[in-house]
Amino acid sequence: MLAVAAIPVVPRLLPVDDTDVSAAELLAGVQGSADVGHSGYAETEGAVQLPVGDDLGDVGELLAGTTRLRVWWQDADAWRVDRLLLSGEVDLVHDGPVTVAYDYEDAQAVVTEDPVLRLPRASDLLPPTLARTALEDASPDDVSRIDPRRVAGIDAPGIRYEPSSDRTTVERVDVWVDPGSGLPLRIEVRASGPDASGSPDVVSAFEEVEVERPGDDRVGFQPAAGVDVDRARTLDIADAAGRYAPFLVPPTLAGLDRRSDDAAAAGVYGAGVTRFIAVPLRGREADPLREQLRAAPDATLGRRRTVVADGALTVLLTGSAGDDRAAWLVAGTVTPEVLEEAARALLELDFVDRDGDR
Amino acid sequence: MIGVELRKLLRSRRTWATILLVDALPTLVGVLLAVTDLGPRPGEGPAFLSAVLTDGTLFPLAALAIVLPLFLPIAVAITAGEAVAGEASAGTLRYVLVRPVSRLRFLVAKLVAVVVFVVLTVLVVAATAYVLGLVLLGDESVTATGATSVSGSSLSTPELVARTFLALGYAILCMLGVASIALFLSTAVQSSLGAALGTMAVFVGSAVLLTLDASDAIRDFLPTRYWLAFVDLFRDPILWTDLRSGVLLQVAYVAVFFTAAWANFATKDIAD
Repeated sequence: MLAVAAIPVVPRLLPVDDTDVSAAELLAGVQGSADVGHSGYAETEGAVQLPVGDDLGDVGELLAGTTRLRVWWQDADAWRVDRLLLSGEVDLVHDGPVTVAYDYEDAQAVVTEDPVLRLPRASDLLPPTLARTALEDASPDDVSRIDPRRVAGIDAPGIRYEPSSDRTTVERVDVWVDPGSGLPLRIEVRASGPDASGSPDVVSAFEEVEVERPGDDRVGFQPAAGVDVDRARTLDIADAAGRYAPFLVPPTLAGLDRRSDDAAAAGVYGAGVTRFIAVPLRGREADPLREQLRAAPDATLGRRRTVVADGALTVLLTGSAGDDRAAWLVAGTVTPEVLEEAARALLELDFVDRDGDR
Repeated sequence: MIGVELRKLLRSRRTWATILLVDALPTLVGVLLAVTDLGPRPGEGPAFLSAVLTDGTLFPLAALAIVLPLFLPIAVAITAGEAVAGEASAGTLRYVLVRPVSRLRFLVAKLVAVVVFVVLTVLVVAATAYVLGLVLLGDESVTATGATSVSGSSLSTPELVARTFLALGYAILCMLGVASIALFLSTAVQSSLGAALGTMAVFVGSAVLLTLDASDAIRDFLPTRYWLAFVDLFRDPILWTDLRSGVLLQVAYVAVFFTAAWANFATKDIAD
């Protein structure tokens, strides 16, 4: 039995080779890795308990527990990410401006144009995508080298990013990188607070990876005869609200800039690990979400807002039960004070007549 | 010796009653699905069960997913647990052992009989489900154009058949892991019930531990860890990672527990 147990353990005990590459070079590699072709199998582990049920798509599920992902990535415009479930798959196939979301158990594929604004989805949790997002605005002065680590059989040098901003809830981000291509192989995100030195809030790592551009047949989607293929005008609740809700969000909120400048009722603000999303919700969407948030053990309850903070993530929802007016959902990796400031500004917004019907 | 054990197995009414009972559950599920046309909601219920309403040829796999977590291992634990302890409690073990037969051969014959039982049970379940799937379930126009892989692409009929047989083979190997634990316990205790219950305790315990984050360090060595990895055979392309680990783990369990059974049995007091 011991011999069997030793088989997977022995390679891990061999010393990991380090290279003398600098932290700044590794950071540049990570930031420029969007078009590095690769394929593999990754697992993400989230410890963020966000009590949101199914109201926000897969977000709650993705942040808590283990997610198993298979990826084939040619470049930022052509990739396929399969989220493996015990009894099926939920797949995203991205081709230029369009993404197909396929669900085996529903036997359905939904085609949508990629919106400017959307909720997080499985592909955002892949080690390279998450690392690029987190280190987006990191400067060479913010990063330092850490011990290398063997990830998916590759001796990967590591960097630590400690954000200088006091507005983010993220204490540090550790990333291990394929030295040849700059492809991030493993990322650990830790929130500030008493648990900062404990286990990470989010870990995403390749278990197997091949740093090579996969063939076209791997990133396409040819549905079998039994699969229904539908088109949808909106992707998720954030996309729908952004397009049709009767508001126009400002270019700046709580001192953070909006990431796009089109006229929309919802927006993402900030960059890197200091970012949040602001989405208006109708009463019937906000009420069940509020109920769930208020049931969280550490929720801050107020007459005009509910705030829940768990690890790196903070969620704020304005309004109170039975309120017919639109409520603002503001959520991100920023402190509650930032979200409170943003929410106050959002509640001041006037109604705007917009084309289309929600 | 092996021939004797096999004849005993195949002539035993209990063998066929056990197989029928294991087969009854997926059959009942198939009939209920056909009558009500109500599949499980996505994310709930055993693998492939929501897909069989459109493609009946997948029902053997759904049947496998239904019986694999509990019914099949219980049947295997009872049959393998009976192997030596049953002879001991019936008082026939001493008569078997006074014959000029090595104890290893006796144990191997018992293991072969259990293997045949496992293969027979899995094949009966799969064959019943296949017939049921064709007759009662699915939409023929969909089935005629090939099945849908879990990744949404088409699987040709030969591909589906080959992968289904691989899945059956994998399930059989997983059950051999159970059988070897039961066989070991069967050499260690006097009562076959004790051996069967001990084996069930092992795989129920394993299933409970798998749900705990705290057991992360040992989860890859738990006997039930990769049982449901046969689903990975129906992804496109096949995901071999867990299947490979599953095969290695089960081979290790069989080797370790069969050796332990032999070591224990070889030194067993014949008065038992």
